[in-house]
Amino acid sequence: MEYPTTVEDAVALLAKHGDRAMFLAGGTDLLPNMKHGLFEPEVVIGLGAIEDMKGIRKDKDGSLHIGAMTSLTEVARSQLITEAAPALAQAASVVAGPQIRNMGTLGGNVMLDTRCQWYNQSHFWRKSLGYCLKKDGTVCHVIEGGKKCVAAASNDTAPALMTLAAELHFLSPSGEVALPIEELWKADGTWNKNVGPDALLVSVHLPALSGPHGGAYLKLRERNAIDFPQLGIAARLGFAEDGSIFEAAVAATALGPRPILLQSTTKLLAGTTPGESNFEEALLELCAKAHKQLSPLANIPGDETYRKRMVPIFLKRALVLAAQP
Amino acid sequence: MAARDLHGPDAPWGDFGVVGQRNRKVDGMDKATGCAIYADDIQLPGMLYAKTLRSPHAHALIRSIDTAKAEALPGVYAVLVGDELPIPYGVIPWTQDEHVLAVEKVRFIGDEVAAVAAVDEDTANAALELIEVEYKPLRAFFDAEEALSNPEPAIHTSKKDVGNLSKHVRLEFGEVDAAAQSADILIDEEYSFHSTTHAAIEPHCAVAQCSPDGKLTLWSSTQITHYVHRALSRVLELEPEKIRVIQPYLGGAFGGKSDPFSLEFIVSALARKTGRPVKLLWTREEVFYAHRGRHAMKMKYRTSAQADGRITSVDANILIDGGSYSSFGLVTTYYSGQLLTGPYDFPSYRFDSTRVFTNKPPCGPKRGHGSVQPRFAFESQLDEVATKLGIDPIEIRRKNFQGDFTKTVNAQRITSNGFLACLDSVERGSDWKNKHGQLPLGRGLGVAGSMYISGTNYPVYPNEMPQAGIQLQVDRSGIVTVFTGANDIGQGSNTMIATVVAEELGLDIRNIRVISADTDLCPVDLGAYSSRITFMVGNACIDAARKLRTQIVGAVASEWDVDARRVSMMGGKVFDLEDSQRVIPSRDAFQIAEAQLETLGATGSYNTPTLGGDYRGGTIGASPAYSFTAHVADVSVDTETGRITCNKVWIAHDCGRALNPMLVEGQMEGSAYMGVAEALMEDHHMNRFGLHAGPSLLDYRIPTSCDTPELESIIVESIDPEGPYGAKEAGEGPLHPAIPAIANAVYDAVGIRLRHLPFTPGKVLEALDAKC
Amino acid sequence: MRAYRLEVNGDKIEIAAPEHWTLLEVLRYKLGLTGTKQGCDKGDCGACTVLVDGEPELACLLLPGAVEGKKILTIEGLAPAHRCRGGEGADPIQESFDEAGALQCGFCQPGVMLSARALLNREPHPSCEQIADSLSGNLCRCTGYKQIYDAVEAAADKEAELKTQGAD
Repeated sequence: MEYPTTVEDAVALLAKHGDRAMFLAGGTDLLPNMKHGLFEPEVVIGLGAIEDMKGIRKDKDGSLHIGAMTSLTEVARSQLITEAAPALAQAASVVAGPQIRNMGTLGGNVMLDTRCQWYNQSHFWRKSLGYCLKKDGTVCHVIEGGKKCVAAASNDTAPALMTLAAELHFLSPSGEVALPIEELWKADGTWNKNVGPDALLVSVHLPALSGPHGGAYLKLRERNAIDFPQLGIAARLGFAEDGSIFEAAVAATALGPRPILLQSTTKLLAGTTPGESNFEEALLELCAKAHKQLSPLANIPGDETYRKRMVPIFLKRALVLAAQP
Repeated sequence: MAARDLHGPDAPWGDFGVVGQRNRKVDGMDKATGCAIYADDIQLPGMLYAKTLRSPHAHALIRSIDTAKAEALPGVYAVLVGDELPIPYGVIPWTQDEHVLAVEKVRFIGDEVAAVAAVDEDTANAALELIEVEYKPLRAFFDAEEALSNPEPAIHTSKKDVGNLSKHVRLEFGEVDAAAQSADILIDEEYSFHSTTHAAIEPHCAVAQCSPDGKLTLWSSTQITHYVHRALSRVLELEPEKIRVIQPYLGGAFGGKSDPFSLEFIVSALARKTGRPVKLLWTREEVFYAHRGRHAMKMKYRTSAQADGRITSVDANILIDGGSYSSFGLVTTYYSGQLLTGPYDFPSYRFDSTRVFTNKPPCGPKRGHGSVQPRFAFESQLDEVATKLGIDPIEIRRKNFQGDFTKTVNAQRITSNGFLACLDSVERGSDWKNKHGQLPLGRGLGVAGSMYISGTNYPVYPNEMPQAGIQLQVDRSGIVTVFTGANDIGQGSNTMIATVVAEELGLDIRNIRVISADTDLCPVDLGAYSSRITFMVGNACIDAARKLRTQIVGAVASEWDVDARRVSMMGGKVFDLEDSQRVIPSRDAFQIAEAQLETLGATGSYNTPTLGGDYRGGTIGASPAYSFTAHVADVSVDTETGRITCNKVWIAHDCGRALNPMLVEGQMEGSAYMGVAEALMEDHHMNRFGLHAGPSLLDYRIPTSCDTPELESIIVESIDPEGPYGAKEAGEGPLHPAIPAIANAVYDAVGIRLRHLPFTPGKVLEALDAKC
Repeated sequence: MRAYRLEVNGDKIEIAAPEHWTLLEVLRYKLGLTGTKQGCDKGDCGACTVLVDGEPELACLLLPGAVEGKKILTIEGLAPAHRCRGGEGADPIQESFDEAGALQCGFCQPGVMLSARALLNREPHPSCEQIADSLSGNLCRCTGYKQIYDAVEAAADKEAELKTQGAD
């Protein structure tokens, strides 16, 4: 266990220990995974003592800076965020349960390992199964004969951040990197990120938005607390002065390995006005499109056919909520 | 002589002083402050830690086990394998088919194969990895029908002649087919109930210590100390007088800690082997493998009725998936039929129940053992009869009410029966008359009823001794200590005991101490199962305390030189009913009596009267008294998402007399909550490999505070003639109606009949699609 | 083994424990504070809830090194802290849970009571919804939560009354 106090020290420590080490944010995902034998780091680099990675502030240009080690509770309760990025506040407020939100961080949720019913199990269980593609095995149990791991991105905050065009600031041994959040993900469930495990997510930036905006995050889960998403849909709408929509963004999580930002949503919704029939029509079209494009897999608990059926319904509901600024 | 129904339901001294009060629990403050010691809180000097190796195969022969490397690992003190403990056990004497550790074969993924005691858990786990087991996998059965139609390979080879059949019961009362043929309406449907598990928050844990002179002490999270004591003696081949079993504070059970479990034998055997204390705490995952939860059942029900709604026959065919061992399965098979015959009058009834072995974790008794599943099917079907005949669902239940002090079609004796008052209460509480059938689409109310046993007259091993025993010890300080073998598993039986003794002796309940569930100290009680403790132990308490009261009253009367009828005890005082000036504290009365007589104490006991029908199996399900329950559930159904939200449940329960209404309400609410959870969320499911789909409290979803409906308890007191002060059970009955009440409410809300549990949103949508 | 400096229930403690042990194991098996319960050991049930700087967290997912320098409160510390403030009996939360019958098996309740304590510290007059939300990470298998809600509401009333009396 190491507890560095600066981001530079943290990154240097990880570089020093290499593959044997891992960063530990809130620990609410890493610790269960370690207990399951999914990760066996010899050195854990705790980030809790790095004060620079905590807190939420508004910069001069109106953008929001959120330290990656800011707790999900703080993100959910922050007035700055509930006003400027309601979808993010809502997403943070429905992660797991209260204790985990107190411990868990925004950075940790963004960098969350993918999940799968054949993977997030004990060593005994996985051994009895004969392991799987993501860890220790060669077979995928989700897609028969599958050669690529399709464990699900299960982070609630990811789609919300995608609709907000968040920029992620990493520090790695090779220097600082700023990455638009859509570019973080790749479709590989074993490691679904385009940065290496040696890159430390330091902060999340939300660019200032012009004009009034509405946002919402809706989560499909069996219980109203504790559960990971079986589907998560975030929506954001930007309004012109006349109340019509001028921009729109929709993203979803808990499908396959990547959270997905739906394309051409602005094209479909721009110019329509909530409460008017043009909005209703565009909404229907968008929902139909989403239903085609967003396909949950049989990776996490929850019947995938049902989850797919919920895509247009959750999308419609999220957009209706987002349309109430 | 074992006493029964000698006391009557009233207080001979007039008004009750303690009974009926909402007193705090006798152990509440221990629990509130973290002082209560549960099994895993026990730390003994030099204690070793045990872990068990489990089978990765669902069905396999064990070719060989090599423990040499594990034994050689530094820090390992002993390794145990099945051959060392070859005597089988099982809670029902006729179906002892379990071994502490597998002998010759394994029967489900998670079946136990070997155990290790080491200096710490890490070393024990490391040693398990070094044990080499060679298996020869066999064809495994995960489906009851498949197992039944394939006698080979038999999961239990000793049962070769019957293949994978575990138990079959067929009983018929009256002319079922004739009644069905002449009925005005006949409803014939299939229902299925999935498996669910107890998920007590405390995982099972046992600690054993063996003294050099061979005396074994076991602390275990068991709900039946006495049966563990007997099983230990048998399997370890150790005289019972050398074994002491203690149940410390217990973190919930719900039936899941009723069987003798492997870990109890393992720690005992390892403690004997090593001469050191040994603890074994199961992981949450291991608790799911131990299971003994609700049996999955496939049920066919055919109910016939007259046009006026009167039932004429019920015909049930039930296939029970037992999992890999018998456990209580013999009883389950009977209960699946025997316990349906109230609160309604069945003129004729037949059931045919078949329990089958499969290669899954063994099923057993879960709250409402054996009868929750048939109750769901029947109460759903009764609702359908009502709908088809255009009769209000509450009215049809009234119409078929069996009455009190009667006999059921299967010859069970019914005493007090407050079911009509239960129906009235939930009808009024839910504003049924203005709401049922009248709420907007997507909102509905549903009703269901049930009955349950207050203990059974049949101990699992036949004997003539009392089913419940009590000893009282009186201290000069004014304290009375009660010794009872009964297991307080959180339901509050120790508080019930203190309530009865305090009532009888006119003491403040805080001056009663209860020492329970310690086989060295306490008279035998059969433990916390079949909702027996309040009825049986409560009666034994009255029996003991009333003898003591007579002694004390007599001594004080003699001291005062008055007639004993003038002396009474209440509120911590003993007084002269005819001279208000003459009052002494109970403490002084105890001292007077002790001086006059001898060291004070008393014993009491209870046995059931002879009960049950005069046919094979007729005593199974025979209870000295039955509780009755009615629920109304209020649900919302989201027709787009298929999600059912249970908004509220009104729970009316006839518990005879509520000895402590606060505890009764706690049982009613906890039961209803558990029923709602089984209807909507929980699923103890094995995947296609026979692996538990999610052996964790993350994936086995028990409701959080945000998922639990509003619960309103309405206590109905029918005052049973034989219960202690008229009391009956409250801990299991109120679970039953929740599930069919929700199913019936969904029908009211959106017009679909859900016949297959659990009611997932996917199934709701499917049914809605089919309706359109 | 690794040495830790912890502040538990107001006591500053130095303790050594195996490096992979969580705070839960240190509390239970090193410090003998067995009131903090283990229900799942994986962050799913809330039985091991303790207060870290006043907020509910899960001891089974905390490495002790991560809470050095922070104030840890376990169920054993609740009544003594109340007495230190001049109170009588146990903490009003504990008294109310006992009075309302919320303690059935009692196994999950140390965690529930600490979550409730944190709620009342933040929000002295919580709504039903706030109570349900705040306790949604603490699974209880016995009560159906009703008597727990009653207890939390009663504790809030009791504390409001104590405050009024204090103001007199």
